[in-house]
Amino acid sequence: MPGHASKVILRDILAWFVVLVFIFPLFWWVLASFKPYTAIFAQPPVYADFQPTVENYEVTIGGKSRINLEGGVGGQTGGASSYYSLTSIYDSLIVAIGSTFCALLLATLAAFALSRFPIPGKDHMVFFVLAQRMMPPIAVAIPLFFIFRDMGLRDSHLGLILAHTLINLPLAVLLLKSFFDDVPVELDESAMLDGATRFQVFRMVVLPLVKGGLAATAVLCFIFSWTEFLISLLLTTSIRTIPVKITTFVTSTGTEWGLITALGSAALVPSFIFIMLVQKHLVRGLTLGSLKD
Amino acid sequence: MPKFLSGDHPFPWLAPMFAMIIAFGIYPLIYSIWLSTQGKVPGLRDYKFIGAENWIKAFSDDRFIDSLVVTIEYTLICLVIQVVLGMAIAMLLDCERRGYGLLRALMTLPLVVPPAVTGMMFLLMEDGQFGVLSYYLKEMGLVDPDNPILASTSMALWGVMAADIWQWTPFMVLILMAGLRALPKEPFEAAAIDGANWWQTLRHLTLPMLSRVIATAVLIRTIDLYRIYDYIFAMTSGGPGTATETLSFYAGRVFGVANFPYAATLSLLTLIMLNVICFAFIKIFRVKF
Repeated sequence: MPGHASKVILRDILAWFVVLVFIFPLFWWVLASFKPYTAIFAQPPVYADFQPTVENYEVTIGGKSRINLEGGVGGQTGGASSYYSLTSIYDSLIVAIGSTFCALLLATLAAFALSRFPIPGKDHMVFFVLAQRMMPPIAVAIPLFFIFRDMGLRDSHLGLILAHTLINLPLAVLLLKSFFDDVPVELDESAMLDGATRFQVFRMVVLPLVKGGLAATAVLCFIFSWTEFLISLLLTTSIRTIPVKITTFVTSTGTEWGLITALGSAALVPSFIFIMLVQKHLVRGLTLGSLKD
Repeated sequence: MPKFLSGDHPFPWLAPMFAMIIAFGIYPLIYSIWLSTQGKVPGLRDYKFIGAENWIKAFSDDRFIDSLVVTIEYTLICLVIQVVLGMAIAMLLDCERRGYGLLRALMTLPLVVPPAVTGMMFLLMEDGQFGVLSYYLKEMGLVDPDNPILASTSMALWGVMAADIWQWTPFMVLILMAGLRALPKEPFEAAAIDGANWWQTLRHLTLPMLSRVIATAVLIRTIDLYRIYDYIFAMTSGGPGTATETLSFYAGRVFGVANFPYAATLSLLTLIMLNVICFAFIKIFRVKF
């Protein structure tokens, strides 16, 4: 059927067109990070007609100083040094890894209980956890600002780790519960008949079976912390996670677009690697486990 | 093995999580409620109790009402576009032939870009002088060269929404595609035999069978859209004027000028409205978690 074949080709063309349109901003962004300063602003836009450079990366991440800063000064210290972002990358890593670890620790225990124990009012409990997800970050950040100030946790890694743990908990609990629910209860029961305690069942039977689910949950928690903005902005001043740091490159005297695109592109690397690893669990994670993929 | 976990009571399993939620979720909420009843005392770091004054003030605060309108506008428009576009792309990419796996993987990339970075990305692309998007829109005659998108009162909100739509349409695509794949094949075969056309199949089969998936996706998106902050901060700072000032952004701005009790009130109002919307939605559409 020639009509059918042309329909298939038409669909292919349309599909590629739509996806390429969606990917274009990312492509343009990463391309800009390798452009010399003036090429970013060329009109009409240039795609290949420029001398590629890694200078933007050398300045933001490598700490190389640049004499001809064409933008303005940003951050608190001013001058080229305020564009040096290696410490931001460390800050982001510490907070994201720390909060992922805390959220997983608390959530695996709770999710196992919610999946296995007969608990009165369990549905309400699950709902209560879910309700935490509906908190606007601004409503969390304002009181935490004062509470952390009084506790000496403001502008500390620990404070930010705790705050991010809180926002990751609902995701981790609901997601892990859905993975635990997939493990047949009969396995627990036969292990317990053989004399295993609940904790032994948890550690030796159920956990090994949901390794993939644990990894997916960890990756999603990491990414949510890695990309979180408002809470990090309000709870810190000297610690600057990458999303917050990047907005300080926009100043009243100018915007360092080359450096912004470089740091912005670098910040995408861990997320992209991780998300490729957990592709198949992505839907479940994004819907808090409510839709099984 | 920890002794306390060996018994058959769920308490030790749940206690750490609830301790965390109470300490850093519920207690701050109570603190926020207390803060919202306080007023400033000039010259002192202390507050004095003023009852519901901040709450009453909010409802005669034009800026609050404006930001509520902007938030609702933003939420509804983005939702509609993301659902419709998401559904169309999901159906387009739901295909077993070669290359479509790669297309689906590419489509998920925007999801993991930090929203602050997305905001900057669209700020650069929509710049009136040298933005790549502005350039092509100008070439096509869709944008007035003398009136940059983000500096125009009528266009700025659309400029911000573009970032949201770019980042989150893939979310809809992903979820709806998972929903499409889980659908049973038989009803569609039967419909094809009965000679139902594409539109009839979509309207009477696909959409009704996907309703639970759509409802879940809409709920999750509503939660995030309603509390939007990052794109606004990166792209317009609420401007021009207050054209793109959302609830969260207004609350943040009030916090920034050190009117802490009123900022707490505004953030609580945002929280309450969002919860009412979500609970009503969950009840009406019977979303299950």
